Amino acid sequence: MTRIRLVLTTLALSLLLGASWAQERGGTLTAAWAQNPVGLDPHATSAYSSYQVLGNVLDTLVDFDDDQNLVPALAASWSVDDDGLVWTFELRDDVKFSNGRDFTAADVKYTYDRMLDPETASGNAWRLGAVESIEVVDDHTVTITLGSPNTGFLGKLASGSPVGIIARESVEDGSIDTAPIGTGPFVITDYQPGTRVMLERNEVHWRTDADGTQLPYLDAVELRIISDDSVRRSALVTGDVDWVISVPPQSLPELEARDDVIVDRSAAPAYWYIGVNTEREPLNDVRVRQAISYALDRGQITEAATFGTGVATQDPIPSVSAWAFDYAPYDQDLEQARALLAEAGVESGFEMTIMPTTEYEESIRAAQVIQAQLAPLGISVSLDTREWADWLDTQGQGNYDTFVCSWNVLLDPDDFYYAQHKTGEVFNFTGYSNPAVDELLEAGRVAEGFDTRYEIYEQINQEIVDDAPYIYLYNPGNIQAYRPNVEGYTARGDQTIRFVRTWLD
Amino acid sequence: MSLRYLLQRLGTLLLVLFGVSVVAFSIQPLIPGSPARIRLGVQATDENIATLERQMGLDRPLVVQYVDWVGDIVLRGDFGESLITRTSISSEIARRLPATLALAGLALLIGLAIALPLGIFSALRPGGKRDLAASIVSQVGVSVPDFWMGILLILLFAETLGWLPSSGYEPLSDGFVPWFSHMILPALTAGLISGSIMTRFVRSALLEVLGQDYVRTARAKGVGPRVVLTKHVLRNAAISIVTIIGLQMATLLSSVVVVEIIFAWPGLGSLALTSTLQRDYPVLQAAVLMAAVAFTVINLLTDLSYVLLDPSVEYA
Repeated sequence: MTRIRLVLTTLALSLLLGASWAQERGGTLTAAWAQNPVGLDPHATSAYSSYQVLGNVLDTLVDFDDDQNLVPALAASWSVDDDGLVWTFELRDDVKFSNGRDFTAADVKYTYDRMLDPETASGNAWRLGAVESIEVVDDHTVTITLGSPNTGFLGKLASGSPVGIIARESVEDGSIDTAPIGTGPFVITDYQPGTRVMLERNEVHWRTDADGTQLPYLDAVELRIISDDSVRRSALVTGDVDWVISVPPQSLPELEARDDVIVDRSAAPAYWYIGVNTEREPLNDVRVRQAISYALDRGQITEAATFGTGVATQDPIPSVSAWAFDYAPYDQDLEQARALLAEAGVESGFEMTIMPTTEYEESIRAAQVIQAQLAPLGISVSLDTREWADWLDTQGQGNYDTFVCSWNVLLDPDDFYYAQHKTGEVFNFTGYSNPAVDELLEAGRVAEGFDTRYEIYEQINQEIVDDAPYIYLYNPGNIQAYRPNVEGYTARGDQTIRFVRTWLD
Repeated sequence: MSLRYLLQRLGTLLLVLFGVSVVAFSIQPLIPGSPARIRLGVQATDENIATLERQMGLDRPLVVQYVDWVGDIVLRGDFGESLITRTSISSEIARRLPATLALAGLALLIGLAIALPLGIFSALRPGGKRDLAASIVSQVGVSVPDFWMGILLILLFAETLGWLPSSGYEPLSDGFVPWFSHMILPALTAGLISGSIMTRFVRSALLEVLGQDYVRTARAKGVGPRVVLTKHVLRNAAISIVTIIGLQMATLLSSVVVVEIIFAWPGLGSLALTSTLQRDYPVLQAAVLMAAVAFTVINLLTDLSYVLLDPSVEYA
């Protein structure tokens, strides 16, 4: 009798508490990362695994909300002059770095100057490529002057921790490499390369929830690096970790059927493609590239590469985006492909290599299917699979026929086309050059209003898909999984991972 | 054993380490890829790469880099900094060495706990049922790849039974039980395989001794089987068995690389692999050098132990 009463009382109490305290404060979330962060200095790395950590440590001036709208963050408001050149940002005056120092305009200037300094050799300096100078007006006002008007500029300032604001003292005392100081919800308290990163609550963080409670809710996040796919799955299933960054797509059906795991799937603003070296014969002939594109069954490739978690596509922007064009001229048509090859004078086919990387197994699976699908045309494809460091080197030197790779975290349409396809741009790996596209790409940067820009980018999209320097394959999905006691976490459209509003039930 | 012999061996050790350091360094220009590109990623310009390689000191002639590197190690005991994380390599190694030693040590114990009884049982009645059973067990252990064995053990002990954590590491300072429970599965993975290999060696070492005349004589004199085994057989087989253990210790240090990766174990093996993939040359070279030190020291200790085991062995 007594025991039952006790249980009932406890139940009632916990219900009461649960009702009045929806968000539990405290606790340590254990999260499994798949890849090693490649250093933690935001300007000295280009690895997503590093930025996924830093997204909880550094804040940006401007941010994206869950629906990809630009919203204020460290900047409370902003304005631009009539020429579209001088941007003025009014900064929040209630923000402190995790070491207790006030955040001011000088920190914005310091961070961006360091990023743009050629000596820093940042692989992300291009994000601020439009910037000519940064001036501190007063403690809470900063102006940024551009070389030419650029509509996508604000989006670049919101593009995650690569442009996150850091404290100068962190660079001066060397902590930038292992524990950069920022204004974000968490502080890095322990970094053991290849093993774990410990994040603890930043006690002076400025964000609050709707009730005015200071964020974050969690005391700490322990990030463990578990590189093996199936071991990461086991760690989640056994409850050794609460949250995993990705699960092997082949175990998705099994995980989704379980009631002790929640699988969070969303479309990623990213695409996988075949990059074609347009400076090599016979691939320099647009008809040959189109023939390859016609020969592919993208559904099959997507199924094999992603186990059905991606969506086959013929152009880069995912259908869920407001900017989607869904231009699809290349439904599989072997007759058309043969005719194009004949026109180009290679009707009997040719030999070419395709370069996937061991870093991303799906690139190998995709390449194998592509190899099989091109065989009927007499195109004899050999796989040149390379380990990541080697792949980067070979691709950087332009020493390939075709490669399979992806672009990630693309938000503005400018992100999808400019750096990849404008003549002579640094990331134009394929050697593609089309003056009409170049002109449109510049026009897209200065044009204003969604409709005007949509029209411009629709033309760009059509030109590039027709010219086929990139043969688009599919838009991948974001798949994260966690235990049911993890609350307040959602996969974000910009692929950043943020535990600021997460709590443990 | 003379002092001269010891000095001679130490001299050889230094010579070996020098050779290893040269080889470890000369690989650098032969591996495609660069740490600068790994850090800067797909979106790096050639200028960025050149700047970073200059900052990393990789644009200097290889000989200069080598002399600098060896100088720092010899004069200051300093392995330098990682090119990727810019953290001190010496402290990274100091942090990881105990984890690898503990793992390899426990794996060796498990291996011996399997190999000695199994090897002895099967050698006592070669061709018997026990021998057959033992050789099946060791054959399976030798043939199963470690990564697969590891995953099977995780499935059984962590997922199905829920007895042990699936992966990860807890430092000893956080308590013995969490530290030890995290170590069991990886040590079992490496230990089962190493034990299977050692079983075969123990068996054949014992069989060889069992065939000797003095064993027959002892038996003929009416000495009990237990005494024959402990006094005559095991003692005389000890040298071969210790040699195998020494070799296995050295092998374990390299075979734990795969086990460390699977179980997310923060040891020297996973450090070596990560640094190879990231072209973090100084870290890789330090890891190679540490492995070479371990190999040569284990060899030396094995040789020295012969003196204790067999009075007729003498080093002059």
